[in-house]
Order: sequence, then C-alpha cells, then structure tokens
Amino acid sequence: MHLVYPVVIAALLFAVGMYGVLARRNAILVLMSVELMLNAVNLNLVVFDMRWADRLHGGQVLTLFVIVLAAAEVGIGLALVLLIYRNRRTVDVDRLRALAEGDPDPDLDVGAMTDDEGTRR
Amino acid sequence: MIVVAAVAVVLPFAAAFVGMLFGHTASHLLSPLARRLRAPKPGTARRGALVLARRMPANGPALIAVLPVAASTVLTAVLAADQLRSPGTHVGTLTRIPTGTVPIALSLHVDGLASVVAFLVCCVALAVQVYSVAYMRDDPRYSSYAAFVSLFTAAMLLVVLSGDLLVLYAGWEVMGICSYFLIGHYWHDRATSRAAVKAFLVTRLGDVGFLFGIFVLGMAAHSFELRVVLGRLPLMSHTALLAGTLLLLCGVAGKSAQFPLHTWLPDAMAGPTPISALIHAATMVAAGVYVVARLYPAFWFAPTSLAVLGVIAAISMLGAALAALAQDDLKRVLAYSTISQLAYMAAGLAVGTRDGAVFHLLAHGAFKALLFLGAGCVIVTVGSNMMSAMGGLRLAMPVTFWSMTVGFAALAGIPPASGFFSKDTILSQAWQATHRTRSPAFHSYAYTPVRRLGPVHPPRGNGVVDSEGYSFALRHIVHGAPPAIPSWVAWLVLVTGLATAVVTAAYATRTWLVTFFGEKRSDFRPREAAPLMSWPVAVLAVPSLLLGFVGPFSERLRPEWGMAVVSLLCAAAGAGGVYLVWNNDPALDPVRLLGPLRPVLRAAFYVDTAYDVAIVRPVRALARLVVRADARIVDAGVEGSGRGARRLGGLLRATENGNAQAYVSGLFAGMVLIVIAVVVLT
Amino acid sequence: MILVAMLAVPLLGALGMLVPLPGSPRRVTRLARLYGLAVSGLTLVLSVAAAVAFHYGRRGPQLGVNVTWAGSIGLRFHLGVDGISLPLVVLTAALTFLCMVYTARVLPAPAGSRGGSPQSLIGLVLLLEVGMLGTFVALDLLLFFVFFEVVLIPMYFVIADWGGSGGKDAGTRARAAANKFILYTLLGSGFLLVGILIVAVNAGTLDMTALAARHGAGLSHGLQVAAFGLLALGFAVKTPMWPLHTWLPDAHTEAPTVGSVLLAGVLLKMGTYGFVRIAVPMAPDGAKFWAPWLGFLAVIGIVYGALACLAQRDLKRMIAYSSIGHMGFVLLGIATLTPVGLNAALFGNIAHGLITGLLFFIAGAVKERYATGDLDALGGGMLAKAPYLASILTFASVASLGLPGLAGFWGEMLALLGAYQPHAGLPRETFVTFMAAGGIGAVLTAAYFLRMLSKVTHGPVAERWRDTRFADVMPHELLAWTPLITATLFIGLWPKTLLALTDGAVRLLLGGR
Repeated sequence: MHLVYPVVIAALLFAVGMYGVLARRNAILVLMSVELMLNAVNLNLVVFDMRWADRLHGGQVLTLFVIVLAAAEVGIGLALVLLIYRNRRTVDVDRLRALAEGDPDPDLDVGAMTDDEGTRR
Repeated sequence: MIVVAAVAVVLPFAAAFVGMLFGHTASHLLSPLARRLRAPKPGTARRGALVLARRMPANGPALIAVLPVAASTVLTAVLAADQLRSPGTHVGTLTRIPTGTVPIALSLHVDGLASVVAFLVCCVALAVQVYSVAYMRDDPRYSSYAAFVSLFTAAMLLVVLSGDLLVLYAGWEVMGICSYFLIGHYWHDRATSRAAVKAFLVTRLGDVGFLFGIFVLGMAAHSFELRVVLGRLPLMSHTALLAGTLLLLCGVAGKSAQFPLHTWLPDAMAGPTPISALIHAATMVAAGVYVVARLYPAFWFAPTSLAVLGVIAAISMLGAALAALAQDDLKRVLAYSTISQLAYMAAGLAVGTRDGAVFHLLAHGAFKALLFLGAGCVIVTVGSNMMSAMGGLRLAMPVTFWSMTVGFAALAGIPPASGFFSKDTILSQAWQATHRTRSPAFHSYAYTPVRRLGPVHPPRGNGVVDSEGYSFALRHIVHGAPPAIPSWVAWLVLVTGLATAVVTAAYATRTWLVTFFGEKRSDFRPREAAPLMSWPVAVLAVPSLLLGFVGPFSERLRPEWGMAVVSLLCAAAGAGGVYLVWNNDPALDPVRLLGPLRPVLRAAFYVDTAYDVAIVRPVRALARLVVRADARIVDAGVEGSGRGARRLGGLLRATENGNAQAYVSGLFAGMVLIVIAVVVLT
Repeated sequence: MILVAMLAVPLLGALGMLVPLPGSPRRVTRLARLYGLAVSGLTLVLSVAAAVAFHYGRRGPQLGVNVTWAGSIGLRFHLGVDGISLPLVVLTAALTFLCMVYTARVLPAPAGSRGGSPQSLIGLVLLLEVGMLGTFVALDLLLFFVFFEVVLIPMYFVIADWGGSGGKDAGTRARAAANKFILYTLLGSGFLLVGILIVAVNAGTLDMTALAARHGAGLSHGLQVAAFGLLALGFAVKTPMWPLHTWLPDAHTEAPTVGSVLLAGVLLKMGTYGFVRIAVPMAPDGAKFWAPWLGFLAVIGIVYGALACLAQRDLKRMIAYSSIGHMGFVLLGIATLTPVGLNAALFGNIAHGLITGLLFFIAGAVKERYATGDLDALGGGMLAKAPYLASILTFASVASLGLPGLAGFWGEMLALLGAYQPHAGLPRETFVTFMAAGGIGAVLTAAYFLRMLSKVTHGPVAERWRDTRFADVMPHELLAWTPLITATLFIGLWPKTLLALTDGAVRLLLGGR
C-alpha cells in the first residue's frame, strides 16, 4: 500500500480533531477531539515506522509513549471537567472565561487601581 | 566725610532693626528709670530738670526712633556745612561685588546736591518722628510704625548719598516697600490695604523701566558707579543715552507721581497724616526729581528725553491742579497739589534749570510737610478729613492757622514766601528756553577720564582707576552745546506753568478760606493741637518763609523780575477770583461754581477708572484664563498621555478574552505561518 | 573623605531606622525624632566643616575622592565640591536639619488607613538627604544619575503616605499626586540618561571635570545639539520648565510640610544645577542652538506662573506656581550663557531655596492653625489674630517678590542684566525682549504676593475665626525659621558671599577668562 493512504487518513483525522478542539463547545467533546488528534499522530508514527523500519523502532515506541500520555491526560482532563461541572453546572467552554481581564476603563485613576484590601476594582 | 555720610545712613537703619525687634522690650526696660525720675525728690533737682523728667516718656520705641534720626540730622548738617565751605565731591567705596560682568560698587558719593537734599530729608524725618510721638500716642502698633519710618529714612538717605546706580535702586525699592507698609498701617480697613497695594504696584511698574534704564547706562559705561557713568557720557552712543534716559523717566514718573503713573498718590492719603507729610510731600516723591538732577548731564545729552519730561510735566501740572480744585477731602487736595508741584520741578529740569528745580524741591519739601502736618492737626481737632466739616478754626488754632497761612502762601507763590522765588526761577528759565535754539553751556563738576593705563584687574577700595583702565580726575567741565529741547515744549511748559499758577492760587485760597474761616460746619471742640504736634508745624514755617531769600542772593537762582510780575498777576487773579466768590457767601464752597465739571475734576478726569478697565480687569481675566488653560490644556496633555497609554494597553488586552479555544486558534495560525515560511524559504 | 562621611552618615542613619525601636508608640516617636535630629545635625556639621575646609581662592573641585567603582564601563566613584556646589550642599544639609527640627514637634499625619510610622518617615527623609547631597557632589556622570534617581522613591512615599490636603479624598489625591510626580520625573530621567550616554560614549569618558574642560571638543555639532536637547528635556522636567510643570502644583499641594520644603528647597535645584554642571559645559554648541528656546520657555514660565498665582485660591498652590516663576528667572539666567547669567542662576537657586522653604513652613503652620489653605476661607486679619506669624509671612512674601536688600533680588536682577547682554552668538534683540517680559513678570509677582497678603493678613478678622484661639509662632517653629530669615537678610545685604564664591567656578566652566 502506498504511504499516501494512511498519511491522508491521519491528516483527515487530525483536521477533524483540530476542528473539534477549536469549534466544539462541550468540554468533553474538546477532550475527545484532542484524543482524535493524538491518535492521528499515532497513526502517522506507526506508518512511518513501517516505512523506515529502523532497528530501535522509534516510531512504535513513541506511539506507546503517546498512548500512555493521552490516557493520563484524559484522566486528569475528565476529572477537571467533572469538578467544573459540579461548581459551575456547565461545561460550555465559551462560558468559562475566568481568565479574562475586565473591561479596561480609560478614566480609572491610576493611583486608585486597587483598594486597600488589594482586590481589583 | 564719607564716614560721616555712612554713619548717617546706617543709624536709621539700625534704629529700624532694633525698633522692629526690641521696641516693646525697650519700653519695659525704660519704665522703671522713668518712674524714678518722675518721683519728686525734695530739694534735689532744679525745677526745669524735674519738669523735663516728668515729661520723659517711658516710650522706648519713640526714643529708638527719634534719637538716631536726630543724630543723622546733625551729621548731614555737618556734611552740608562742609560742602558750603569747600565744595567738591567725595566718593568712598566699601567693596566691589563681582557679578560676572560689570561689578557693583557699594559706594557713597557726597557732593553739594547730595548733602543739601540729605539734610532736607533728615529734617523732615525728624519733624515727622517727633510729631508722630504725639499723633500716634494711642496706637498699639506705634513701634513697628516708627521702625518703618526709620527704615524709610535710611533708604532715602541711601538713594541720595549712593555712589552706585544699583545701590541707588536698592534704596529706591526699599522706599517703595516702606511706603506700602506705612500707607497700610491701618490695615484693618480693606480700602487702605488696597491703596497700599496700588501704591506699590504702580511704582513698581515704573521701577522696572528704571532698572532697565540703569542697565543701559551702566553697560554702556562699563560700570554702575555714578562718577564713572557721568564721566563716560561723551563716549556713549546716542541711542544708548536716549534709551537709558527714557527708561529712567519711567521710574521717575512712578515715584514722583507724574502722569501716567500718578494714580497712587491721592489714594495713599489713607495712611496716617505724618506719613503723607514724610513720604508724599518731601522725600519719596522728590526722589524722582532728585535722580534726574543727579544724572542731569545724561539728560542734557539726550534732549528728547527732556522734551518728553516736559510734556509729562505739563500734563500733570495742570491736570492735578484742576483736580485739587474740586476735592472735598483736605488731604486729597494736598495730594493733587503735590503732583502739581512735582510737575513744576520736572518742568524746571526739562527747560534746563537743575538748580531751580532743586531749589523748588527744597522749598516744596518744607512747605508741603508743613501743610500736611498742619492738616493733621486740623483733622485731629475736627475729627474728619472733609472740608465740609471744617470752618471757624482761625481764632481757635492760632499756631496752626498762621503756619498754614505761610504754607498756603508759599504754595500759591505769593512773596515773600519761598514758593514765589522758586517758581519764578523755573518760569523764567522756561521763557528763556522758548527763544533759544541751543542750550547754554552746562557747568558741572564731574569725574572725567584722563588717560588709559592699560588692562587692569578690578580695582581695590577707593581707587580712581576703573576696571577698564581709565583714571579719573575731578574737573570743572563745560559740556558742549547739544541742541536744546524743541521750543514748542518750552512754550507748553511756560503756558501751562502760568495757567497752573492761576489754578494753584485758586485752590490754595479756597482751601485756606473753607478750612479756617467762616462758621464751623460740624460738631467739634475747636482747640489748638498738642504742642508736640503744633510746634514742628511752626518750626517748618520758618524755612517756608525764609528759604526763598536764598534766591536773590545766589548767582544762578536770581529771579527775573519780568516773569515774577507776570506770575504774581496770575496768582493774584486766581486768589482774588476765589476770594470774591467766597466773600459773596462765606458759608458756601466757592468751587460750587464749577457745576457739572466738578465730578469730572474730582475724579481726576477718570484716569483711575480708565486704568481699572484697561489694565486691571483684563489682567485678572487673563489670570483666570491661565489657570483654566493650565488645568484643561497643559495638564490635559499629561493626564491624556496616561489615558492614552491605558487605552493602547486596552487594545492589546482585547486578545486576552479568557477563551482557551481562541488561544489555541492563535497558536495554530502561528504554527501554520511558520511551516509555510519554512517551506517557502528553504 | 569629608564628603564620603557626609554621604555615609545619613545613609547609615536611614538604615538604622530599619531596626525596630522598643517601647510605646509615643516613646518610639520621640526616639525617632531625636534620632533624626541627631543624624541630620551631624550631617550639617560635616557640611559646614567642608565649607570651612574649602579653599576659597582655588577654582576647581576640592575635598574630593576618586576611586574606581566599575572599571569595565569606566564608572568611578568621583566626588568633589567647588564654588557652584558648595552653597547647595550647605543649603541642603541646613534645610534637612530644619525639617527635622520642625518634625521634632509636628509630625505629618499619615494619609488614609495605609500610612507610615514616624520611623519610616525619618528614614525616608534621611535617604532623601543622601540622594540630594550626592547629586551635588558627584563628579561622574552615571554616579550623578544614580543619586539623581535616588531621591525619587523616598519623595514618592513621603507624598503618598504622609501627604494629603484634607478632606475625605485626601489619601487618594495624595497618591495620585505622588504617582504623577514620580512618573513624570522618571520620563525626564529617561531622556536624561540617553543624553548622558550620548555624551559619554562619544567622548569616551564619564568624568564631569574632564568633559567640562574639553568644552565639547570631540563631539560633532549635530551630536551636541541632540545631546543638549535630551539633557535639557530631562532637567527641564525637574526644574520645572513650562510646559513640563504640571506635576509641581499637585505635588506641592498634597505633600506634607517637610515634603514641600525639601521638594521646593532642594529638588528643584537639582534640575538647574544639572544644566549648569552638565548640559552647558559639555555641549556648548548645543547650548547655543537651544538657548533662545530655553529663554523663551523660561520667560513664558515667569509670566504664566505669575498670572496663575494671581488667580489661585489655595495658599500652597500659589506658592507652588510662584516656584515656577522663580525657576523661570533661573532658567533665563542660564539661557544667556554668560558668567553673569550663570551667577544669577546659582544665586537665584540659593535664594529660592531659602525663601520658598520658609514660605512652605509658614503655609504648613497656617494650615495647622486654620485647618485650611483656602485664601477665601482664611478670611483675613491674621495680623490681629497671630501677629508674629503674619509678620513672618509678610517678610517671606516681600523677600520672594524680589525686594533689594533681601536674597531674592540679586538673582532676578542679574538674570535680567544677563539677558540684556547675552552671549555673543545669541540673538540680542530676542533676549532683550525676554528681559522686558521678565520685568513685567516681576511686577505681576509683586501683584500676586500683595494680593495674598491683603487677603490673608489685612482686613478685619473673619466671622468664623473670631472665637477660635490658637497660638502665635511657637518656639520650635521660631527655631526652625530664624536661620532661614537670617540667611535671607544676610545674603540680601551682602551678596558678595555667594557671588564671590560662584564667579570663579562659573568662569572656569564657561571657558575661563
């Protein structure tokens, strides 16, 4: 079989995964899309390992690494999603914006940016 | 002699210092001594001594004020006597101050003019100090008042005896601030406070021009020393001379209350009467005339400035005399009269007689001080400044009445009082100036450059070698004959002089009649003023009467009988006219005949209002505009830069929206670009 | 060595204040005050000793020390005093000592809930003193810059933590004013640093005396123009020069008394000192290029400051704007690039330090008694209510408006004289116009001071104050103010003291004649 077929499939899988990461709103779906991307990479690695067939079989070894890391990552990721759901009753990524800055107010007095307790106004 | 002069200047200064700081302490220290002297000891002291001891005040400030001025009077008398005996110039330099360019010399310069004027200043100051002991007896702030009068005396003596133009300027300004403090003595009245501020600001405006004039003359002469400047006059360019003298005239107009800087003097009458006598009659206002007399050779070489002076004098002369005619406040009459008489002196200088102007200065000092101090006596008795409240004082206040009669006679120019002779000198010189195309040779004693010794470093001490290497010798020089002032100026001076003589006699007679004659117009107890007040007035009547006789006996001041007769006729016309009107109805004010003109004259042709509208209000509006512009424009730039920085930051912050997917998109886009770049570029 | 000691004593003193003091808060406050008095007194003694040890005939820097600090960049720890810096050093030490005398009885109240202890105030003032003294004695460009910057942080904290002009917003406004002050001055310092580096890199040395002796040799004309422009920008913010002045009124109004006195009395001098010591000698072509502009902005500052004062309602703000006017005269003197102009600038510096320091002390005293600085609220009649205080206020105002016989006159007069005949390469007519405008400014100066005196000291006592009683001048105030009054009188009556001192050094800086 020519290399092209699996590489294209991997690319397609990666693209689908990328789309999912960037465009899906549900956090669990984002995690699943990340899995898709990782598996696309795995496919690529295995295919090229078969192509190059070096003594250490680096591609397949790396694939095993990736599988383990993906598993670990999805474990923690799902745990986080669970906690977020418990606290915020939602897993909509668009609504999880706690890292954003507030509206910048140009007339805010520079000297009074924080009040005495240090909380931001 | 220089030491004498220096001590004469320093004594009142020290008195001011001590009086300001230790006035009350001195009273406390002296009171036990006075008490012991007052306690009668049987059969010990002579009767006269007891009387004197009983009268000696435990008034510390008074002693601190009077004794040093008395000592200075004696010292300046010594100076004047010495000058009479052997006329000449003495100059002494204490030290030279390096400035980076022309050095300033702390020096004193004593000659005939200086010593005579210094003596006048000290006499009037002594009279005022003695008078004030009684006049200000109940005033709690007497000690600071006396201290300021001493400081003023020291400053005026510095102006008169100074040998360096910048030292003269220092004394000039100190006089101005003392005038502010003294006019503002009754500071709890806001109008008085305003009058004091006005006096200082108007004179300061003139003083700025004065300072610039000193710069011009000093830099052109490469020295600020008086004798060097006068000696170098032939070497200066005409532009420098003209600019310098014209700028000096600004200061003269300010201090001597000539148009257009005259508006402060009538309002300054809000101060205590002795101050009006000292400052606004005899000394400070005379300082301007004195400076022109002192630097007369410079003006002589720049006749345009003398012409300007003549025009200013003519306007002030007649305008002030007309204003004096319409006043109701006795002190304001005398104030406008001062402006008018000073204009006479200025006119004398303009037409070419320095000696006549100085003669009138001395005479005016005596009779105006007399008039003011006498007015003080009258005001204390009547309890009001307004002439509409006076009358019927002729028999009740004999000393004051006869002294003031002499004073008014001198003012009006009626012989044999001094004013007649001094005015005549000026008017006759004006007549001569009208038909003369070139000035007569002007005689003076001056230091003139002899030879150049080569480059030298700044000289030490008194040396007659200046910093440019010229050595000086005292010579009697005859200045060449530069063109005289234009004859139209001389005609203007002559005609206004005669017209003013008419009006002067008129208002002098009117004031005399309304104040002393007729029935008393308000409720007061007519009695003579306290001896400490009336005796200085009487003493001043002596020079007012007799000083004029110096005229016929002196070569340069001899009266010209033709002009004398004309001026006498003018005076008689003015006085006679007023007397006739008054005689018709002694109860009414003769000036009522002016009718609708009276308010205009009383407000001195509304010059004050014009200044308020044209200068004071726009400056205040400009000040408010500046404050607003500072907050809204200049500061807005600063605050705006801060806001702009935050807005820029806000723009960049827009990417930090908390959405993780946006971050990843950015990452991905960047990665794609890098990959493309790598692929394309390799 | 004496200069090193003079710098080390306040520095160690400031560090000493880090040690916590035992005892009740009252005891701690008293100990801190005495400590501050002792340390600043010792510094004053050292500076006077330096003045005594100074050889008045010699023209170059003396009493110095010159050791390597960072050899790789050519930075040396080079200190020295000459006729220009000696009066400023003594003035700084004296003013700091007088501030400590004043603090011995009156401690500024901390603003807002965040505030400092007396210990930190004393420590900060001592640190400020190190910076101020160091600026005047440093003879190495980067060392000068370091000390120049050192003063900013303590002053920021003094204004922010102890300042405030009363009212419920006091703390916020104080912090805002302090922020404005420090950011604005730091901006200027940025330009200053670039200018310094241009000069130093192109000339190859950081030593101020060597650079001054070269009179710009080795720097091309364009480089000198650029360097002077940047240096001038940096110093102009500090001076302050119009239009870079807007930090000053806010900083002065919000600062506590000791802060205002030191800010007006010393910090403003650092800008003009920098002009005289660094900008003019090291880039003379640049100076000649920029001088007309400098003069123009200086004269605008004089007239603008005077007009702004005329319409002010707050006493301290008025004195702040008057500082802008006086510094305008100093700048005008510098812009003439003549010995008389620079003498005028240096004289004006000292005079302004003494007189405006005194004025701010008095303004602080007035504020304590009346609890307000608003001229209309003060009402008038202070001569009846507190005669000695009013008399001293009158004396200080009269000195500030430039009366001959008091210190303020000579600086102004000599600046105008310098403008009448500026350096040969400068347009004379322009400078004569500046002189005329400066004269008008002098009249306006008199106007606003007399207006203030009329409003505050004259007239009847206002209704609201008629029943309050407060003390006239108190002993510790008199103790703090008498040296300033005496110095003003002495220097005014005998200006030769200062002029003889600065004249030689100035001529050396300008190219020796």
